[in-house]
Amino acid sequence: MRSIRRRRAVLGTTALLSVTALLTACGGSDDDATSQDSASAGTPSGSITVLTWRTDLVKDGTFDKYVTAFKAKYPDVKDVKVEGITDYEGEVKTRMSTDDYGDVLAIVGSVKPQQFQQFFEPLGDTAEMSKTYRWLNDKSYEGKAYGIPVVGNVQGIVYNKKVFEQAGITEFPTTPDAFIADLQAIKDKVPGTDPLYTNYKDSWPVSAWEYYRGIPSADPDYVNEMTTWDAPWADGHDHEVIDGLLFDVASKKLIEADPTTTNWEQSKQLLGTGKIGTMLLGSWAIPQMQAAAVAAGNSADDIGYMPFPAQKDGKFHATAGGDYNLAINIHSDNKVTARAWIDWFNNDSGYSESQVGLSPLIDGAVPAALKDFTDQAELITPNPAPAGKESLFSDIDTASGIILTDAGYRKKIIDDARSGKRTKQQVFDDLNKAWAKGRAEAGS
Amino acid sequence: MANVTGVVPTPAKNAGDVRSRAARLIKPGGTRGGRRRSLTPYLFLVIPVGLLVLLTYVPVANMFFYSITDWDGLDKTKNVIGFDNYVSVFTEPDNLRVFVVSLYYFAGSFVQMALALYFATLLSFKVRFKNLWKGFLFFPYLINGVAIGLIFLNFVKPGGGLDSTLMALGLDSLVKQWTGDPDVINYTLAGVSVWRYMGLNFVMFLGAIQSVPRDIYEAADLDGATRWHQFRHIILPSIRPIVGLSFILAISGSLSVFEIPYIMTGGANGSETFVIRTVRMAFVNNKVGLASAMAVVLLIIVLLVTWLQRRLVPDEEVDIV
Amino acid sequence: MNGVKKGVGGTLKYASLVLGAVLAMLPLVLIITGSFKTDQEFLSTGPFKAPASWTNFSNYATAFTEGGMLRAFGNTIIIFTVAIIGTIFIGAAAAYALDRFTFFGRKAVLGLFLLATLVPAVTTQVATFQIIKALGLYNTQGALILLFTGTDIVSIYIFVQFMRSIPRSLDEAAKMDGAGHVRIFLRIIVPNLKPAIATVVIIKGIAIYNEFYMPFLYLTDPEKRPISTTLFAFKGPYGSQWEVISAGIVITIIPILLLFLFLQKYIYNGFTSGATK
Repeated sequence: MRSIRRRRAVLGTTALLSVTALLTACGGSDDDATSQDSASAGTPSGSITVLTWRTDLVKDGTFDKYVTAFKAKYPDVKDVKVEGITDYEGEVKTRMSTDDYGDVLAIVGSVKPQQFQQFFEPLGDTAEMSKTYRWLNDKSYEGKAYGIPVVGNVQGIVYNKKVFEQAGITEFPTTPDAFIADLQAIKDKVPGTDPLYTNYKDSWPVSAWEYYRGIPSADPDYVNEMTTWDAPWADGHDHEVIDGLLFDVASKKLIEADPTTTNWEQSKQLLGTGKIGTMLLGSWAIPQMQAAAVAAGNSADDIGYMPFPAQKDGKFHATAGGDYNLAINIHSDNKVTARAWIDWFNNDSGYSESQVGLSPLIDGAVPAALKDFTDQAELITPNPAPAGKESLFSDIDTASGIILTDAGYRKKIIDDARSGKRTKQQVFDDLNKAWAKGRAEAGS
Repeated sequence: MANVTGVVPTPAKNAGDVRSRAARLIKPGGTRGGRRRSLTPYLFLVIPVGLLVLLTYVPVANMFFYSITDWDGLDKTKNVIGFDNYVSVFTEPDNLRVFVVSLYYFAGSFVQMALALYFATLLSFKVRFKNLWKGFLFFPYLINGVAIGLIFLNFVKPGGGLDSTLMALGLDSLVKQWTGDPDVINYTLAGVSVWRYMGLNFVMFLGAIQSVPRDIYEAADLDGATRWHQFRHIILPSIRPIVGLSFILAISGSLSVFEIPYIMTGGANGSETFVIRTVRMAFVNNKVGLASAMAVVLLIIVLLVTWLQRRLVPDEEVDIV
Repeated sequence: MNGVKKGVGGTLKYASLVLGAVLAMLPLVLIITGSFKTDQEFLSTGPFKAPASWTNFSNYATAFTEGGMLRAFGNTIIIFTVAIIGTIFIGAAAAYALDRFTFFGRKAVLGLFLLATLVPAVTTQVATFQIIKALGLYNTQGALILLFTGTDIVSIYIFVQFMRSIPRSLDEAAKMDGAGHVRIFLRIIVPNLKPAIATVVIIKGIAIYNEFYMPFLYLTDPEKRPISTTLFAFKGPYGSQWEVISAGIVITIIPILLLFLFLQKYIYNGFTSGATK
């Protein structure tokens, strides 16, 4: 599991860096270089290109420090070019249809498991590597791991504590309906505050709602079971709960008045100043929201993090999983150094600590800021697909035309709810029909 | 006589414009030049024709092939699945909806032409600061599409220039969520399109009107013809071919809309156009097969419209090939 | 009576012209005023409020340096220069062959060019993308240069049209002097095509400068991309800083405005040459 994210990214960051040698990075002939030793043998040397979605960290010099430290450890390494990409998902997806997508990159969400071996160097046996790393299953295929997460996230809701106080909310809501009632209370008692902000315009915050699946049911096998249902938007399944919540808050006008003019950067400030009550974002968002609150003259303590409003057996749950997974371009001509970068990044860079996230290492500690949350909510790590069915879920998804990881379908839910042109039932019927069709076509 | 493009966005390459120009031009000029057979013309043509085939014909042929497969754009294998993609272009509600959206732009092109015609007529008579007015009205057409999209995002956002103007005029009741309201958004976007392309229509109409020799107007003036009569009997006939072509080309133009809605809304909130959907299907939904089928459909519509245009507005010099 | 009517008509006439001009320019003017405002000013003052300082160029500085507009201009110039030279030679060569020779397959070639004008580029990109990829040109400026050069049939027609006005006697005279075809082409044809070249440079220059779709699809590297996609990328990082976006927009428009002010006549002629005859 992974949360898409985008931070204060600034254009022109790459002015500091040279990407001119990128063209030469196209190997092309080594498609069959699948021997896994190719990436682990030898001494790191030469140059590599790293693609990252963290344009903010490129901009503020953090990556420069990483590169310096990496080169200090491996003196033979000449250069590490870091390319920050603003529209990471879209751009890298398109670039992957060529050979030119850096040496080290984060696996984009739209690549299917069965396509991993076409694009990425296997990093090792999943079973073996699982002794060291967490959350490898998501980017593994047929027993081989193709990516290692840089940090772990939990999925909850970031909120403004003062707004909750003003609205008289003292306990975390335990059901979607209770949550909606709380949002209504915010709307009534805290004028000028949007109870829930979807960040519709920026798309990715809307698509991130997908990563709450598995929470209402508290079922690590939710995704695998979903491939056996014809109607995931019914019978209280997670998609009905999550998308039902989305539909209800939109139709009850508990979200921003004009979703088409939202703005991610501004939303952080709005949450920090209490103009927004809640946003459904992974735990990675906490430090950014705190920073924005402080920048606006408020306190970092105003920002709270609560579990998704659903309980199973009287307990909150939250899925935990890897953020972006780092992988090696199969066309890379410097896989040894690329591998060294990934290992160094996960073990020595201090990245995950700096992100207030869970460490990708098995023996990593839980950061203090998440301690409260993890005390309240039980963490679930989704199980991998059973052998032979690794690609089934994404095949059904593609064939259905829904594309769960794309913001398009949830934006349509918001559109329909706001315009009132279609009822929730109609929306869900269509989704169920599409999913059933996808199942039929993908030959489940 | 010639064609007009730019009614709403130009379906690339100024198709109409070229065609008739070509029609005029392409009568073989060489009556003497090529008496003896030689390799020379072929050598001169190798690169132009090579590029033409490589960048236009090969893609078109491939597109037809992709359109009958289920290719996702990445996989090494392409399975032929027949006409399923075409069926879904015309049966899935989301695919059909984009045709509805194009109607807004089609209607917009009528407004655009009416305005262009009005201003062209006005400026074909004696007017002070003629060049200044002409410049103001035409300049938007020269602006970068991205800039236009952003300019109007700023203009129509809540509390932006449009809302402020309306409130200053005491028209508070007209203030709307220009992109947020699903019933308004397509009018807004079509309006931006009109703003962008009106200038081109206007300048073309004006050019056509001004190509009428001055003495005809003078004679009309002497005969005591009113402005209305001059419009009816001199101006209108002189630009009828262009107006007619503009209307017809507006059909393919309104299906090819991409830049403005993509930049302003990304196709959200019911503003998805045919081309935005095609691009999405190809590069986001991994349905290159379906996207190709959509592109083929658009291509066929454009060809049909062109054929229709040839039938309705015969070009006197179509003696090309 | 007639005079009164004329007066009313005249007022209406100018009123509608003023209204048209205001509608055409207002959104633009608001962007210009906005570009001089500070961060706070932009958020707290209305769009019609003039900026506190008309000499606040900090947003322009940000757009130029952090936003990479300077590099984007450089990229646009490179792409434009190479593409325009390519277009001129390809267009002139094709026109020379088609106008000065009769040869087997001439009509077929003409037909190919004609038919190609009917294919909207926007429809074929799904497939063209695969070609560019296969050529190894994805994410290079070469991709744009090749596409701008190789798919510009308009220019070829402008050249063919103009070619016919170049007297054949010039070719013949050169031939008498023993000049070969290449020499005739380079020494006689190309120099005499100057007016057509000027038209192509203007129209194509504006088209390349404003093109969004092609660089959007084929050139994603921030180091190499031209002006329009660079401006498009402002939406992300500067999403909440409209004053910087505004400055970026103004920077984008200035060159085209200057071009328009100095070359008005040619620009009008270029765009209307199809409409008037």
